[in-house]
Amino acid sequence: MNIKITHNWLLEYLDTKATPAEIQKYLSLCGPSVESITKSGDDYIYDIEVTSNRIDTASVIGIAREACVILNRFGIKSKLKNVIIPKPTDIKESLPLKITDDEKLCFRVVSVAMDNVVTKNSPKYIKDRLEAIGIRSLNNIIDITNYVMIEYGHPTHVMDYDRIKTGKLIIRRAKKDETSVTLDGKKHNLNEQDVIADDGTGRIVDLLGIMGCENSVVTPDTKRVILFIESNNPHIIRHTSMKLGIRTVAATYDDKQVDSELTGVALNRLVQLFEELAEAKIASKLVDIYHEPKKPKFVSIKESDIERLIGIKIPKNESTEILSNLGFKLISDKNNILTFQVPSYRSHDINIKEDLIEEVARVYGYHNIPSVLQAAVYVKQPKDMDDLFVFQNKIKLFLKHLGLNEVINYSMVSKDQLIDSKLEPKDHLRLSNTLSKDIEYLRSNLMVSLLKNIKDNSGKKEILRLFEISKVYLPKKGDLPNEVYKVGIATNTNYFDIKGIVEALYKELNINQLKVPEIIKGDGTFMTEIDFQALIDSSKLVPKYIPLHPYAVIKLDKTFALSPHTTYAVVRQKAFLSKLLQKLEVVTIFGNKLTLRFYYSSSDHNITEEEAKKELNKVRP
Amino acid sequence: MDSKKYEEKIKNARSLLELSELEIKYLGRNGEINKLLSSIKGIPNEEKKEYGQKVNKLKTSMYQYIEDRKKELQNKKSDVFFDKTLPGKTYPKGSLHIVSYAIEEITKIFEKISFIRVSYPEVDWEYGAFESLNMPAGHPARDDVETSYIDVPAHSTLGKMVLTPHTSNGQNREMKRVGKPPIRMINISKCYRPNWDATHTPMFHQFEGLCVDKDITIANLKGTLDYFAEKYFGEGTKTRLRPHHFQFTEPSFEVDISCNVCGGTGLISSHRCRVCKSGWLELGGTGMVHPNVLREGGIDPEKYSGWAFGFGIERVIMMKYGLDDIRNYYSGDIRFLEQF
Repeated sequence: MNIKITHNWLLEYLDTKATPAEIQKYLSLCGPSVESITKSGDDYIYDIEVTSNRIDTASVIGIAREACVILNRFGIKSKLKNVIIPKPTDIKESLPLKITDDEKLCFRVVSVAMDNVVTKNSPKYIKDRLEAIGIRSLNNIIDITNYVMIEYGHPTHVMDYDRIKTGKLIIRRAKKDETSVTLDGKKHNLNEQDVIADDGTGRIVDLLGIMGCENSVVTPDTKRVILFIESNNPHIIRHTSMKLGIRTVAATYDDKQVDSELTGVALNRLVQLFEELAEAKIASKLVDIYHEPKKPKFVSIKESDIERLIGIKIPKNESTEILSNLGFKLISDKNNILTFQVPSYRSHDINIKEDLIEEVARVYGYHNIPSVLQAAVYVKQPKDMDDLFVFQNKIKLFLKHLGLNEVINYSMVSKDQLIDSKLEPKDHLRLSNTLSKDIEYLRSNLMVSLLKNIKDNSGKKEILRLFEISKVYLPKKGDLPNEVYKVGIATNTNYFDIKGIVEALYKELNINQLKVPEIIKGDGTFMTEIDFQALIDSSKLVPKYIPLHPYAVIKLDKTFALSPHTTYAVVRQKAFLSKLLQKLEVVTIFGNKLTLRFYYSSSDHNITEEEAKKELNKVRP
Repeated sequence: MDSKKYEEKIKNARSLLELSELEIKYLGRNGEINKLLSSIKGIPNEEKKEYGQKVNKLKTSMYQYIEDRKKELQNKKSDVFFDKTLPGKTYPKGSLHIVSYAIEEITKIFEKISFIRVSYPEVDWEYGAFESLNMPAGHPARDDVETSYIDVPAHSTLGKMVLTPHTSNGQNREMKRVGKPPIRMINISKCYRPNWDATHTPMFHQFEGLCVDKDITIANLKGTLDYFAEKYFGEGTKTRLRPHHFQFTEPSFEVDISCNVCGGTGLISSHRCRVCKSGWLELGGTGMVHPNVLREGGIDPEKYSGWAFGFGIERVIMMKYGLDDIRNYYSGDIRFLEQF
């Protein structure tokens, strides 16, 4: 996700002389990537990419923490400001506020009611900053919740105390077919996988972590509010948010597990701003349901592992200093094992020693690590894999030199394409979540796609000769499909043109025994598909050598009248019964008259014309 | 057997056609020479040898006369204007898909540093595409908006059947195939994600590098990336790593390469470079193989370490040749295909 913050906002938490350009450069090298800086009035807007594991940096405070450590490494003196947010105190005469989470659906829930709320415009700095980062400023009540969310990196929520009426919020799973109307007026169907807040009467008043409801949202007349902040289960939030298609900023935070220690701090800041900017007064006791407060987390690392993974020695004092600047406390250092306590805002992200090594390496600077190619070693490549690529390349180049154009098609085709090619859709693997009917089935045959290529290209070029070498997918029951390479060829020319291409390919690969596969005709298209493995298996790098001999070759021509009984294949088969026949060529075809040229010779003596003629006379269909 | 007679006739031939007629008449299968040879039967035995030699001598000199005259005739200036600027004979020129060229080039670059190209399934179980890569159930990449699923019953232990959304499913398979490091793998394959717009196609190609051995370090990854960038994008191309996050690597990086259009400065005569905007172009994701991924492949992460990357072929083609209309890659349009 990306987050925007402004330079002046950052300076409220960070004391530094770094320019926006320096912050962009150094942060991007060692921390979150600052994708752009835009000037806005007397302020600068940073657009920052936050990776899903570092939701703690999706905040002004988080960026201040990172920037402070990184800028100091680059020699720009920086210091975090000591901002103190007071913890609000309970008041005695309180409005009733009862919140329950019996099923422990949230990690933590904090809440307080406030009275005497005055709705008005936000002060200029809040308005400017929110608008600068692309959040519309509405009024002080709504703006404060957004402001705290960006400042602390925790979604916050405000509801109208009087519209809820009961002073109760019961957190539970939705029931099947229960519905709610979110504050944008949209109605949603819910089920047991969604978590909601109920006001105790069965009425849903909040879709937790995703969006508030229409029946509890604050209005310009709101006088009393409930401030409500939950630390949510990211899996539940993600599921509901994707299912309902509601991707609010709150949901993008809440589906990444925000630190539950922060939940309390965010409420304190919320109360502070409500008091300061909305003249509100605390009117209830503070609710803090914290099922299992976080325990300190420790991760250990062997000192030598740092070098083993990074590739250079970083002195121990330097690596521990980097970690301590990042908030990791060195707890023990015994027998070269260093143990650190992980700060709570990193507790979901740091689990193993490699996580600590990453922290050391990035702040040390990837640019400071040398570039050293590892030693070459011999790893045996399986013969079948080697063949696959060597032959693919050879065949591709050969077909290209014959004048064919290679095409690569999607592996998926439409149902109609299968039917057009007389294939059964049910014999094909189908995508359950296809984007389009055009790419719904995994093809079992390349000609399905080539047929479409020829059609789509009609009118673009007079003569089309296309080929594709790709896998087809042949389903197997209860197992992964057979993925088999095929060579598909398609032309808009004629039968003997495509047959000639296949025969030329066979000659190139010194294949004698393979038959030309069936050539499929239709609509001026000629197509065929050759099994790739069969080509590999029957090919020879060098053909069988025939010793040269000095004896005469007798060339004889003979014409045959072709008929279903007298085909070229029949003649050829009979002709080669002769041991003297070396070669057979087609000279001309005229009507059904086929003239062939026969080359007779022997490798051990000069044959006479009579001998040759005798052989030729045996060729009688 | 007077060679003079033949010589004169041949020398007087006025055209190549006439010459070839003479060639058939004298030297053809039923030509005069063959007739002379076959009449050897009627020659007394003691003269046969001499006779044969004479005929053969005549035959050799006739070949010579014909050859000489042929050259003369060919060199004779024709009356018709000979336009040397006309194009030569047209030979067929086909084309390979632009992706094929890139695959071949990348394979060769890595072969030189001892990486072997492998082939693994494009249709795999969730185990291969996710679990074995430290992406447990519930990980966002497994959502059906990120991954294409196949409509068949799930495997009892390996999960649902998917179209691989990346080439990284080859990592676990290669670790298990090799059994024990060293591993030097380059896996190039089709990948699939349900994403179809101006900059995405539902099928694309990735090349995946995996190197596992004793003491493989970030420095080695940098060395390999620098080597690849220089070989593929050209001498002087630089790389840089930026921190990032991927489930199957720790630490994880994003790699940028220096822009060859502006020379990595981000500026072209004081204007912002349109190609890169900042001097750098994003190549893709990489990192040190996560210990869980090594363990899942049966490799002890305390003894071995490794790096891995997965980059888009279409992306590197785009960066190198500026071929940015990716939808044309797989449209089968001959006007696109025949250009390469």
